Amino acid sequence: MRIPVLLLLAALPLAAQDAGVTRADWPHYGGTQFSWRYSALDQVNTSNVKNLLPAWIFQTGDYTEYLGSTPIVADGVLYLISASARVFALDAAKGTVIWQYRYPTPRPGIAGSHSDFIQNRGVALSDGKVIFGTRDNFLVALDQKTGKEMWKVSVDDPKQCGCNNLSAPLVVKDKVIVGGNGGDQAHRGYLTAFYTKTGRVAWRWYVVPAPGEKGNETWKGDSWRFGGGSPWLTGSYDPDLNLVYWGTGNAAADFYDADRVTAGASKSHDVNLYTASVVALDADTGKLRWHFQEVPDDQWDFDSSYEVLLMDKQIRGQMRRVLVHMNKSGLTFVLDRATGEFLSSFNVPELSNWISGITEDGKLVGRNEPEMGKTKNFCPSAAGAKSWNSMAYSPRTGFLYTPTNEICTDITPNDTKPTEGRFFMNGDFPMKLPPNRTTYSHVDAWDPVTGKRIWSMPYKFVLLSSMLATAGDLVFTGDPEGNFFALDARSGNKLWSFQTGAGHRGGSISYSVNGRQYIAVTTGWQQTVVGSAIVGLFPEESFRPGSTLVVFALPEGSR
Amino acid sequence: MTRALLLFVLAALSPAQDIVKQGEAIFSKSCATGYCHGARGTNGGAPRLAARGFDQAFIANTVQRGIPSTAMPAFGTTLSRGDLNAVVAYVASLNGVTTLINSGPSGIPNAKLTGDAARGRDLFSDSVRSFGRCSTCHEVGGIGIPIATPIAKVPADVAALKALSTPQISTATLGGESMPALLVSKKANAVMFYDLTTAPPVLRTESPASVQTRDGSTWRHSSVIGSYNNAELAAILAYLRTAEKP
Repeated sequence: MRIPVLLLLAALPLAAQDAGVTRADWPHYGGTQFSWRYSALDQVNTSNVKNLLPAWIFQTGDYTEYLGSTPIVADGVLYLISASARVFALDAAKGTVIWQYRYPTPRPGIAGSHSDFIQNRGVALSDGKVIFGTRDNFLVALDQKTGKEMWKVSVDDPKQCGCNNLSAPLVVKDKVIVGGNGGDQAHRGYLTAFYTKTGRVAWRWYVVPAPGEKGNETWKGDSWRFGGGSPWLTGSYDPDLNLVYWGTGNAAADFYDADRVTAGASKSHDVNLYTASVVALDADTGKLRWHFQEVPDDQWDFDSSYEVLLMDKQIRGQMRRVLVHMNKSGLTFVLDRATGEFLSSFNVPELSNWISGITEDGKLVGRNEPEMGKTKNFCPSAAGAKSWNSMAYSPRTGFLYTPTNEICTDITPNDTKPTEGRFFMNGDFPMKLPPNRTTYSHVDAWDPVTGKRIWSMPYKFVLLSSMLATAGDLVFTGDPEGNFFALDARSGNKLWSFQTGAGHRGGSISYSVNGRQYIAVTTGWQQTVVGSAIVGLFPEESFRPGSTLVVFALPEGSR
Repeated sequence: MTRALLLFVLAALSPAQDIVKQGEAIFSKSCATGYCHGARGTNGGAPRLAARGFDQAFIANTVQRGIPSTAMPAFGTTLSRGDLNAVVAYVASLNGVTTLINSGPSGIPNAKLTGDAARGRDLFSDSVRSFGRCSTCHEVGGIGIPIATPIAKVPADVAALKALSTPQISTATLGGESMPALLVSKKANAVMFYDLTTAPPVLRTESPASVQTRDGSTWRHSSVIGSYNNAELAAILAYLRTAEKP
């Protein structure tokens, strides 16, 4: 027994390394199903990045809202979706249109609900199909070769739930898995898997268990019905364990818990399951394998919906299959991804006043909660120490790269009763700039094993664009002023910057065609939700909207 | 409550002239341009709106959703809920409607339902039943996915509902697999149909060469209403009867 185990452990890092990196293609939202946003391409590196120039530019023509999606690249074709679901297949070397598709303008859902916001975070590619969610909550599959619709299925009724699915689907073997938003409304969140071939439903897993199911006892009365928890971003997948990993949303109501938590109940762990948790589901059946709740009785809207990074790390002398996960509070957890065992945690933002700390076994201590009849200032804000834009991980440096914001909020709770599909946040929470600072965000490098910050580059406004790490030891991201820039992955020194003309809220990727490396970034500032809330904090600034993909490469002949 | 008393209560609760004034202000800035409905909705490039006999539900629906393939946009996403209700109140006033009914989801007024019908409405779209609810395939009162054509005739009782025949469902054969199908369109280059193998139905678009269809199927409506017991189905029928429009 001893020898095979040792061999297995030795093989682990190589397998994970391979599963986490992208090469010529950028096949998934997070690069690979491990969600590292790391490219093994190194043609562009620290010594020549200063020569990067735009190779081509593509304007979607869809200026209703920002371009926040992450493109997908396969075999020299780049697939891009705009805010109101215009989908383009572009020649990834030239930017010429191969086909385009326009989703018809849908009937609106509930005015002012999540289903009202116009946005889309990306497509998924599988089984010869380009698959995406829509504002009226359908999942649509197009023929990858022609852009013609192949199937379309309703995930839920936005006129009732006020919810839809606008994040990139996760493709896993013969299925495509989507979450949905609506967890800030009177709604009960879920993940749904559909067969890519037919569009037929394969399974649905509810974040909030029904009566008779384990975990329902963590809800007071019938509060489970509208308990929120919607997993509104994109998950990850480990093919060896056949487990799908997803972060779940906040409990609803967000800022008031008396209707969902029994008075006097212990809040040390497992309250309002399985909200604000990382969950591992069997990819074939959707059955829950394990859960780890990061924010028991979430009262700050610190939902745990963000990306889940899968990697193998030496922890206390032992090679472990881990996942790294940050929630909106900026608290970042390292868990054993086979079992859900808590291994360690570290806190990324500089300002945190909602807890006083966390125990060695992952329990929150010194909770500072919103109080009825009072307005209290909390840091970070419900916009997140990091927003939904992803961090990146480089296996060369071993560091995580995070865009972190230092924004606070004044929470005033109320006890409004729920109406299905309507906002059910039960609180006002205006964003506030913390006093005595001149910079309100920073890009950091963190070692997830030691929990130490390696370097930090401050920025005066906020950072709401995803990170990209490359084997050229570069880290890319964009800012609201329109600058797209590259940092040295080891030192944080800024090596290059380019003014793209509009604010950054989407993601950047790297890919190659015929041996030439490209870096592509979506531009255009978000005009609703977090984007607009942030604008209010900096009234002198104009963070420009738009909907343009800018693609960079080293000039021909200079490589 | 008698109808007269009900009207009295609604009138007492009606938002008086303020909301109509607010609606007029929005209307004159946006809807009343010469290209569109004109001042007070009487003369412009678009149809007259005053004194047309429009009711609140029709106005709310049209303002929210627009009219496809015309210049009438959907204002459901561009106007706030308050502004939208105000515009509806104003246009309603142009049509002699002065008592307004509180709006439901989607801004369309809720019918006042009681007893079985009210319970039936909740059951019709009961989200706890996931894809096993009626609204997975039927849209009634602005709620649900309109896969089936509007319900023309409500079954007389639960037995009749369970015995419902569905001759409009055919059988499609594709790649060697046969499936119950609701045909949507058949054109030279594409056949569109709902695959009813599982709920929710999937709208599939296939090339005519790859799919064969034949009349009739083994699909039964009774097999997709299994999440409801008889009492619940009776309540749903009571609701559908109140929702029925001439």
